[in-house]
Order: sequence, then structure tokens, then C-alpha cells
Amino acid sequence: MIPATLTKSLVEICGRGGVIVDEERLLVYESDALTAYRHRPGAVVLPRTTAEVQGAVTAIARHGLPIVPRGAGTGLSGGAVALDRAVVIGTARMNRILEIDAANHRAVLQPGVINAELSAAARPHGLYYAPDPSSQTACTIGGNVAENSGGPHCLKYGVTSRYVTGLTVVLPDGSVAKLGGQGRDAPGYDLVGLFVGSEGCFGIATEIEVGLLPLPEGVRTLLGIFDRIEDAGRAVSDIVSAGLLPAAMEIIDGPTIRAVEDSVFAAGYPTDAEAALVIEFDGVEAGLDEEAARAAGFCRRAGAREVRSARDEHERMALWKGRKKAFGAMGRIAPDLLVQDATVPRTTLPSILKGISEIGKRYDLVVANVFHAGDGNLHPNILFDRRDEDELERVERASKEIMQLCVDAGGTITGEHGVGLDKKHHMPLIYGSAELGAMWGVRRVFDPAGVMNPGKVLPEETAPEWTANGEEQGAAEPVAAAVAAP
Amino acid sequence: MPVNGGQGTLARAIEEQEERLLNCVHCGFCLPACPTYRRLGDEADSPRGRLYLMQAVVEGRLDAGSDAFQTHIGRCLGCRACEPVCPSGVEYGHLLELARHLGGSARRPALLARLLLRVFGTGWLARPAMLAGRVLRATGLPALATRLLSGRHRSGERRDRQGRGEEPGRIARAATGAGLGLAMLAASSPARELFHKRLAARPARREHRAVGHGKDATGASAAGRGNGATGASAPGPAAAGLSTVAPPDPPTVALLTGCVQAGLFARVNEATARVLTANGYRVVPAAAQGCCGALHAHGGDLEAARDMARRNIGAFEGANPDFLAMNASGCGAAMAAYGSLLADDRLMGDRARQLAERVRDVSQLLADRGPVKGAPLPLRVTYDAPCHLLHAQGVADPPARVLESVPGLEVVPLDGAAECCGGAGIYGLTHPGLGGWIGSDKVRSVLATGADALVTGNPGCMMQIGAGLALAGSRIPVVHLVELVDESYRRAGLYGPQASRGNMPAGIRAATQPGRSA
Amino acid sequence: MSAATASAGIVELLPPDRVLTGEAASEWAGGRDVGTVLFPADTNEVQALVRLANETGTPLLPAGNGSWLGAGGWTRDGGAVVSTSRLDSVVHYEPADLTLTAGAGLGWRKLGAVVEPNGQWLPVDTPGVGAGTLGGVAACGVPGPLSGRYGAIRDNVLGLEVVTGDGRLLRIGGRVVKNVAGYDLVRLFTGSRGSLGVITRVSVRLFPRPGADVTVVFGGGVGEALEVARVVRVTSLPVAAAEMVVRGTGDETGRDAELAVRVLGGRAEVDDVRARLVAEVGTGPEGTMRGGEGEAFHRERTAWEGRSPIVVRMTALPDRLAATMGWAGGGAGRTRGEIAADVLGGVVRVKGLSVDDGIAGIAATLTRARSELEAMGGTLTLSRAPREVAEVAGWTGGGGGGGALARKLKSLFDPRSVLLSKCP
Repeated sequence: MIPATLTKSLVEICGRGGVIVDEERLLVYESDALTAYRHRPGAVVLPRTTAEVQGAVTAIARHGLPIVPRGAGTGLSGGAVALDRAVVIGTARMNRILEIDAANHRAVLQPGVINAELSAAARPHGLYYAPDPSSQTACTIGGNVAENSGGPHCLKYGVTSRYVTGLTVVLPDGSVAKLGGQGRDAPGYDLVGLFVGSEGCFGIATEIEVGLLPLPEGVRTLLGIFDRIEDAGRAVSDIVSAGLLPAAMEIIDGPTIRAVEDSVFAAGYPTDAEAALVIEFDGVEAGLDEEAARAAGFCRRAGAREVRSARDEHERMALWKGRKKAFGAMGRIAPDLLVQDATVPRTTLPSILKGISEIGKRYDLVVANVFHAGDGNLHPNILFDRRDEDELERVERASKEIMQLCVDAGGTITGEHGVGLDKKHHMPLIYGSAELGAMWGVRRVFDPAGVMNPGKVLPEETAPEWTANGEEQGAAEPVAAAVAAP
Repeated sequence: MPVNGGQGTLARAIEEQEERLLNCVHCGFCLPACPTYRRLGDEADSPRGRLYLMQAVVEGRLDAGSDAFQTHIGRCLGCRACEPVCPSGVEYGHLLELARHLGGSARRPALLARLLLRVFGTGWLARPAMLAGRVLRATGLPALATRLLSGRHRSGERRDRQGRGEEPGRIARAATGAGLGLAMLAASSPARELFHKRLAARPARREHRAVGHGKDATGASAAGRGNGATGASAPGPAAAGLSTVAPPDPPTVALLTGCVQAGLFARVNEATARVLTANGYRVVPAAAQGCCGALHAHGGDLEAARDMARRNIGAFEGANPDFLAMNASGCGAAMAAYGSLLADDRLMGDRARQLAERVRDVSQLLADRGPVKGAPLPLRVTYDAPCHLLHAQGVADPPARVLESVPGLEVVPLDGAAECCGGAGIYGLTHPGLGGWIGSDKVRSVLATGADALVTGNPGCMMQIGAGLALAGSRIPVVHLVELVDESYRRAGLYGPQASRGNMPAGIRAATQPGRSA
Repeated sequence: MSAATASAGIVELLPPDRVLTGEAASEWAGGRDVGTVLFPADTNEVQALVRLANETGTPLLPAGNGSWLGAGGWTRDGGAVVSTSRLDSVVHYEPADLTLTAGAGLGWRKLGAVVEPNGQWLPVDTPGVGAGTLGGVAACGVPGPLSGRYGAIRDNVLGLEVVTGDGRLLRIGGRVVKNVAGYDLVRLFTGSRGSLGVITRVSVRLFPRPGADVTVVFGGGVGEALEVARVVRVTSLPVAAAEMVVRGTGDETGRDAELAVRVLGGRAEVDDVRARLVAEVGTGPEGTMRGGEGEAFHRERTAWEGRSPIVVRMTALPDRLAATMGWAGGGAGRTRGEIAADVLGGVVRVKGLSVDDGIAGIAATLTRARSELEAMGGTLTLSRAPREVAEVAGWTGGGGGGGALARKLKSLFDPRSVLLSKCP
């Protein structure tokens, strides 16, 4: 429960419908799309403009309460969960596209605009927004900025940070900063790039400028059906080694295929297969058939039992729909799931997939894999029922082993979902105290009082000590210097 | 379980649904599909949020009588736009009915809602109420009141409040509700101006001239005629004075005449029977039918809904048609769900399921037959998909195919056609603020199309959008899909030269009379 | 005035064969008087140098091959250039992963020699790239015309090893193509021009070299070239890059322009795009270059700035190209140089500005041009300039709301301002 004076000022700023303080109504904000964590916020504020965000941040900061920004709550790392009864600032009402500047292939929008709706609005201009996270029909651009979201097509086109060219942000002290803007290549530090992926710890982006791309003229989509998932992994490696650059390459494994086929988004994958590999090429019509034929050849040589191609847009959408809704379809086979997000070097895919399968067997768990194979970005989904305590513990242990396996192979703990609450304790797997200390320092530059999304991304025990006047103690102390590959 | 006394059994009912609730993986894909979330931005007003509240009740963390549960479950339109986008296949509509059931037991629903449901569910109350409505409508007072209100309605104050997502105060709400009620009543009037003045003033396009207008066409010259089947036992096309191509053994359909449909839209029922007959169906009466129970189920009065379902099963089994024809998609969705409504009924469960499988929207029945082409209607129209047709029954293509089949008709796309109009049964009356907001967005996109008429397939939507348009000062009429087809057929002379409005064959009249047993 | 040799302690840290002073140092720096140049051989030595510099208050100027020293780099008295050019080994290269990790000093040409046999490349055509090092390119972070297609260097740096200004060794990012673990410090350090730390190792994402690389050149007067540029900008055809060069000096009248449009992809795709592009433009091209001919052309293009004493870089939205060049408003006076414009990125570079007006005159011209650009949302930066000009005109403009954040970041990683750089 937040103080009545704060409620009063928030209502003055955002209106009665924009402030939620009723304990029971706040229940629904306990979790994002990672339901393993439940923390009820102290209040929820739903502003409409930069000025309202500024007013809300200032008012909350005056009361010394922490703030958690939230988009559509589709995140998979617990990043939008409010610890310590923090006040949630939701962007659901900031859903206006402010400008589509077709001449310069750019758009300016509020953070609550839904990813797919931006592309829909750009389509009449022959343009689209390239990053396409699987939740693109629901997730917001503001959330994409916070998480630096990827998606199947970032194999060819890159992730969110490549497309964000300018930001208006409300900083934790209530001030407004304009970073970049008016196209790419602003002088100075890449503060836009630094802000993207900061998981709501640096401030709230209230206006976002993004770059758009011309819609590709043609698309070819293939589906390789494999009896062994390792073979699908090998096909991916072979295609890339041969110099082909598909727009996307996605693997859906056996358990996932069966879940999808059982859902309302059945895509027509054979349910007895152990892997389906979706490959897509896009660009001008000329040459697309040849590229698709070469990729199909690599699939067959790697052991595909069958290679299909989508005959029309309808079939193509069905193939993608099955892939994109796979996460939700898991609800069909188990009440709970834990989705991981490690990225590994592509060449290690076959051995990593085998390793994950062995870990699953050892802990007697169903692990369903659906992932961006072209990027080496894995999404093992561990299925469980939280009401089974023994299973819950096995999930925890298996999860950690999978992550360690990926890190040992030269990978990282998260490729696109973010660290959030879920993976912050795994950060020391990939970063030492120097790197974590530097991240703490940067966070403090944006948020000296530590009010923005506290308890996320960085494990508290790695925080450096600060002196009373804000100097970091021992910052200049030499750190043990063992040189290795970054 | 913090649910009191007699609610224990009800709580158990929803608890038994836990597996269905657990299907929800909280992915949030449903959020943008939800009209209330899109406007209010509060996740408690999203499908995911409502499911979470239901789950909280099951877990014993929330009281079904709490403000939070009552407000947010109550604020759901029940449009079920969340279902097609749910990758986990959560049966939201079903869970919502149970939640309303539970909520209604924990706290008495508002007087207005109770009253309306009571009237719809009771034949001897419904018929006089509908008669009174027709009489009032005939006086022209509702239309006059609507015109007077339209000025005030457009004032900025209201929109400002809507923009902040706030409902008006009690008195303002009652006034708004009364105004809307009158406007809805006015909107249920036939679109005489469209069919008479406007169409008459506009010559058909050259390529369609050959077919000619109904009034000029002679019985022999119009297309597709002169081969009427001669059914002796039932009012076949020939007996009805209709002439069309019919198979030797035509499929039979029984029409759900409905309560509002029968009371205020009798012309739609009549048109339905005529166009079905013209497409080779044999329309048979199903006496003793009553209200489908949709409003009761949506309102959470599941016991009443089940009683109505049982009665209708008996009535329609008696007629034993191949199909049950629906021209009110809300009713269609309810009857198509009789199987799950009565799933636990050992005596009626199987019969309910078998009957539900025969339920078809009139657009599906027509599309299956082509449908037969009529005379050109040189109009520009736009189509709004009723939620209970598109989302609840997944019927997307048939209405489009029926519209395509009408010569001369220009169909322009409607922005947001898949979104609820805000009518949602009695929602416009219980939530005038939010319903009005959703409705005014619909009105804005209709106006943007520049169409001569809005076409849809459900009486509630017709009245809600019609009222919204009228209150916005627009004269664009709202017509039912079959009304357009009917007009096209009439002009083509498919019903014979003697058939005209009000001069209805006796057979059709029998098949479109509401049940008499209640 | 000659820059003094750096403090004895710093110089003595390295063996004499890895220290240059006086004439030799100037010669290495292309005639620029830099005093002392230090060549550490590994990351440990870099770290030791930076720590000692902190203790002794010695200013350091990070560099690679020294090719960008004209872009705002000079040493203060007693300071030294730290060149990473000896850190030039390839640490990890897995062709099938399309990733490479190497020392910051790896020369650009050597990088090409390593990856090209596998049909791969790092598609960067930033000004002066050929003479530089991998670390230098990352530190400068300037996008070239190809960045529209492949992303700028900051989009393709996957990981960095950096010795910060206060002597901390950081290994940030990694060598996988998607990585959102923690804050994106890689983007902060990329393009920070050595002001926050010395980059010692870089991991990058590589791309398969396309089967065909064709450059179509359109000629004519400035007006015609601008019209071709407009067509290229709005076409839906996948054009990889388009650069316009205006030769000669003087005002617009009578100047010749040349617009080079680069198309990359499979052979069939490229031939198709080329033919359709020519049809859309409506006038025949002057020529089409393929293979080695085109490569030589682009190599020459990236070296366009050469060692020009003053190079100005202006940016604005691409559809304001004519205005950015100064031909669409009252911008006369800043066009008296040669121009190279990235048509798709809206970046205009000008070199060969006349210094006849004297330093004050040039600075006044630049200041006026900057205010015109900023009024339309653009920027003007000095890419290369004599210290005297830069001190009057300023390397960059106002800097916007990020200024305070940038200053705090600088003091976070380099609290004693040991590292010299013009950024931000």
C-alpha cells in the first residue's frame, strides 16, 4: 500500500483510471510471462505521455519508492516483476504511433505500441519493422527496447538495437533526456545502444525512433523433417558454411511439434518427426529459388526424410504460426514451463542438443526445444508441474546444468530474453567481478539512487561499495589480470 | 476457500476447471485482442488478468464477492476475441460463464441486469415487453429522442471522461443508459430509406441490367426460376409462392426465432426463411422453442441457461431438421455450445451434443449453396463481424462469400471489423461508459468507410452500432446480411411477382413464429 | 614547438625497441608531432602502462596504426601515444560460426587475408578503414555507406577486451551473435574513440561474401545526381550502398558529380536488381564495375579523406540530402570543398575546405553551417581538423540531453582523465 499522499498526486497526474492501488486488483501484476516469480506491486500507474511519466517518476521518487517499468508483461525473465512492493509504471496507454516518415524509412512511436502493429502500420508504405520476437503480436516496442529483443529473422537482419535510432527517456531522477534521433550516426557515445537492453534499470523510454526496412519482394520457406535433431543442427551449420544467408532458420523438436499440432495453431508438421527445420529466404525474386534449392540439398544430405516448401502465403503463415505460438502451446502438455535462452556457437549445436537431451533424461524431465538455430540461440523448455515439489527441484538442477553446458561451449546465458530476476544469479558464470562492477557503475550513472527496477540483472553481492560522496571504493584497485579471449 | 456457505459447491465447480485454467501459460498473446484492455490498459481488464483472478479464487487468495473480481469479470464483454489468438487453447468463454456464475452467487448482480435476464427468459414477460417496444418504436419517439440526444452525445466532455477510462456517475449512467436504450430501439427499425429511396435513385450498373429489378421482372424472365419442388408435407418453395432450383430431396432447416429477433426483427426472420428457401432448403417449423439462454449463460445464470437448453433440445428434436439455422450469432454460439453447457447432464448430454453439431449460421448455409444470385444492389457496404460468429464460432469466410455473391455490391473493408462493437448483450446498458467508448470507435471506423450501409449478423450488434451511428448524427442504416440478400432476390423476382413486403406466404410465417409454450 | 618525451617511468616500462620518440615518433604519426609512441605487446603491458599513467598523471592517447590521429588526437606535454598495433594475433576463428576474435592491432588487410579464403568478410567501409586496425575501427565506430545493409561496426562487434582509463581489465560481450546478458557495454566502448579505455581485443561477426558485387556508376551534374540519389533512396530494390562524390571546388554551377550504387548478393539477384535499378533511374549509367575493378574502386573510396587537414562530417535525415550539402537553403559557403555523401544514410563529408580565410574564417563558416544543420535536426562534426580550428569551432555541437550522462560515464571509467580523446 503506497502512502495516500502519493496516490493523490498520481491520480492528479494520470487520472483515476490510470492509478491502481487496490490490493486485490494488483494481483494480476504479480508476474510477467515467467510465472515462476510472484511479487505484488505497491501500485500500478498507467500514464499516457512523457510528461505524465515524468510526473509519476518524480512523485514516486519523492517518496523514495522503487519503480518497475512494464510493457505488455510478455517477458520471460521476470524483468517486469515488482520486488519490494515497487510501483509499476505501465506503458499500456502509451500506444500511439507518432510519425511514420516513409521517406526516411523511420517511425517515431510511444513505447506501448505493439511490435506487429508497427509493421502493419508501415505496410501501406511498403515498409516493415524487422525485429520479430515470437510474441510480436502482443509485445510492445518499449519492452523490445528494454530487452533488446531478437526474433527468428534477426539471423539476417539483426536485433532491436540495430533499429533503434533515437530515444526520449525519463531518467530515474525525473529529468528527460533525448538520446540520438533523426536517423543514425549521432556523434558522441552510443547512449541509445547502451540504453537498449538495459532492462528498465536506466529509465523509461517514452518516445522511440526506429528504422524501417522495405518489404522484401519475395519469400521462400522450406520445412525439413528430420528423424534426429542432431541432423537438423548439422544442416544449419552446413547451410551457413556454404555462404548462404537465410532470413531465418528455426528448429522445432519432437515434443514441441506434438504440442503445436495439438493446439489451435496446428501447422501440419508430422507428429512422429524428431525435428522440423524451418528455413526462410527473402529478397528479390531472382535467385530465391536457387538459394532455396541449395538449402534443401543440404537438408537432404544431412539426413532429412522430407523437405517441403510452402506453396503459398497461407502455408507459409501456417509454418510460422506453429513456430511462433510454440511457447503458448506448451501449456497443452504441462501446466508450467521454464524456458531457457542460452546462445552457443553454431558449430556446437549438435553436441549441445545431445547434452541437453541427456540432462533431461537424467533428471526425468521433458525438455522441449524450439529455437533460433541460425543464431545458435537455444530455447530449451523444461516442462513441469509446480505442485510437484520434487520435480520442481529437479527442474532447478537440470536448468543450471544446461546453462553451464552452454557457457562451457563458449556461449552466453541469455540471447534475447534478458537476465531479469531469473538469471541474475547466473551472471557470474560469464562475468567476473570487474565486469559486474563496471555494470553496477554504469547503472549508477543513470540511477544514482538505485530506484529503477532494483533487484534485477546484477546480483546484489557483486555490487561495489560506494563511499558517502558517491565515489566507488577501490575502483582504481588493480584487478587480477589473466588474459583470455573476451 | 473464502467463499461463504452455499457457494462451496459453486467454488468446487470452478475448482474443477483448474486444469483448464492451468492451460494458461500467462504468455499475454490475448492482451491486444481484448477491447477492454486496449482502452483501459489495466491488465485486470485483459483475458490473462481475468483468468489470473479466477485462478486466485481457486487458490483461495481472492473472494469471488470482492470488488476486484466483480468489477473485472463484470467488465468483460464476452466477445471471446481472445480465444482464437490463444496458443494454449484456453476455453475462455466457458471459464467466464463459470466465473460469472460464481460471482453472481457471491454477490447479487445489479437490479437492471437481473431484470433484463428475467424478461428475456420468461416468454409471458418477453412477448408483451417486445410488443411494447414495437409500439413505442412505431410512435417515432425513440428516433426523435435519438436525434435530440445526438447533439449532446457529440460533446467533448464525454469523450474526455472516456479517454481516462472512467464510468460516469450513477445518475449520469442511468440517463446515458436510457438514452442508449431508446436509440437502440430506434435502430431496430427497418432500413426503409436504404432499400426504397436510395436504391431506387441509383441505377444498377450496366453489366447487371440484364437481370433487372424485381419490380419490373416478370416471373418467367428472372434467372434461376421455374423449377420449384413440390413438397406436400411442409411449405415448400412452390407452396410459398417461391420459385427456385431445389434438389429432389432438399435439406431441412429449422430456424431459431429468438426473443429479440422475433420481437423487434421479425423481418429478419422472414427474410432468413425466404433466402434459405430460395437456396433450396426446406424450412420447417420448430414449435415450442424458446430463448436460447445465451444472455443467461453470459450473465452467469447457468441453471436458467441449462433449463432453456433442455427445452430447446426437445423442441428442435421434434422438428428433426438437418440443420438449425441461426441469424443471431449470439444465439448461434450459445446453441453450438449446448454440448458443453449440458456436459454433466447424464440424460441430455449426448442429445445436446448431437443437436449442437447441427447448428449453422445462416451465412454458412447460404455459402454452402453458392449462394443463388439475385438482382444487383448498387450499394457500397461494409461488414462488421459479430464476435459470436467470428471468434466464438470461427465463421469468417461465409459472410464474405455471401456478400460477394450479391451483384453490384461494393464491399469496403472496415477497420477493426474483428473487434467487438461494445453491444455484447446487455453490456451497452450495464456499462454505458466503456461500452459507449468501444461503440464510438466502431462508429468512427464505419463513418470512415463512406459506406451506404453497415452489414452485420446479430441483432445486438445491429442495435448497438445503429444507435451509435444515430447518436453520432449519422443516417447510415444497419442491416442484417440476409436482409440484403433478400432484397436482391426480391428485386430479381425470385419470390414471384406477387411477393412483396408484408405479403408473406403462410408457410414462411409458420416457420418464423416464436415458440408458444412458455 | 615539439612535444616533450613522456615521463621516464612510462617509457622505461617497455623495452627500448618498442618505444619511439622525437623524429621517429613524428614519422610514425605521419608527420604529426606526438612526442612518444609506446608499443605494448600484450594486454598485461597495456594495463601496466595505464596504471602507471594514473599514478604519474601521464596523459595517454590510444591508437592503432595511427591513421586517425588527425581526427582529434594529440598528446599533451609529457604524454604518449599507446599503439596496440603489436596486439595483432588472431585468437579464435571458426569459419562455420562466422565469428572471429583477434587482438585490437590486427591490421585491416591482414584480417581480410585471414577470412577471405573462406569466402567471408567484415563488411565495413568506414573512411580510412584500409590503413587501420580492427581495434581502431571499433574505437572510432564511424558507419560507412554499407552500414544500411550490414549494420555499422557497433552492430557487429560481439565482444571486447578493454583496459579502462583507471586500469581495470574488462571482458565484455562474448563471441556469440546474440547476447543480452547484462548491460550493453560493448556498444558504449565501440565508438568511444579511446576516451573510456584502450581496446585490446575484439570479437566480431563475419558475413559470407556475396557471390556478386556490382557497382553501377551514374554521372552528370549535381542536380542530376541528386535526382538519381532520390530514386535510389526510395526504391524498394535491395541496394547495399550508394555514395555520391562531387569533384572540384566552387559553387554548384558546373560541378560534376558521380553516384556509385553498390549491389550485393547472388549473381542472378544482382543482375536483376541492376537492370531494374537502371530502368527506374531512367538514364543509362556511365559504367558498371564488377569483381576486382569494383573492389579497387571501393578501396579508393574509403581512402577518400586521405590526410586532408580538415574533413567535416554532416548528418541529417536522408531526404534532406540537398539541404545538408548546403544547396537547398542559405547554406552557401560551405560547399567549397569536395563532397562525398552516403545517400542512404544522409551523411555528407566535405574535404579540402579552403584555409584562405584563416582559422577564424573557417571556424565561423563551420559554426554557421552547424547551426543551420541543427535547426533541421542534423549534426556537424569535425572528422579531422587542426587543433587550432577545432578549439574554436568545437569537434561536435551541443550534444543534447545525453551530455551530462556522457560526462559521468567518462569519469566512471577514466576518473583522472588519463585518456585523451575528443569524444564526446
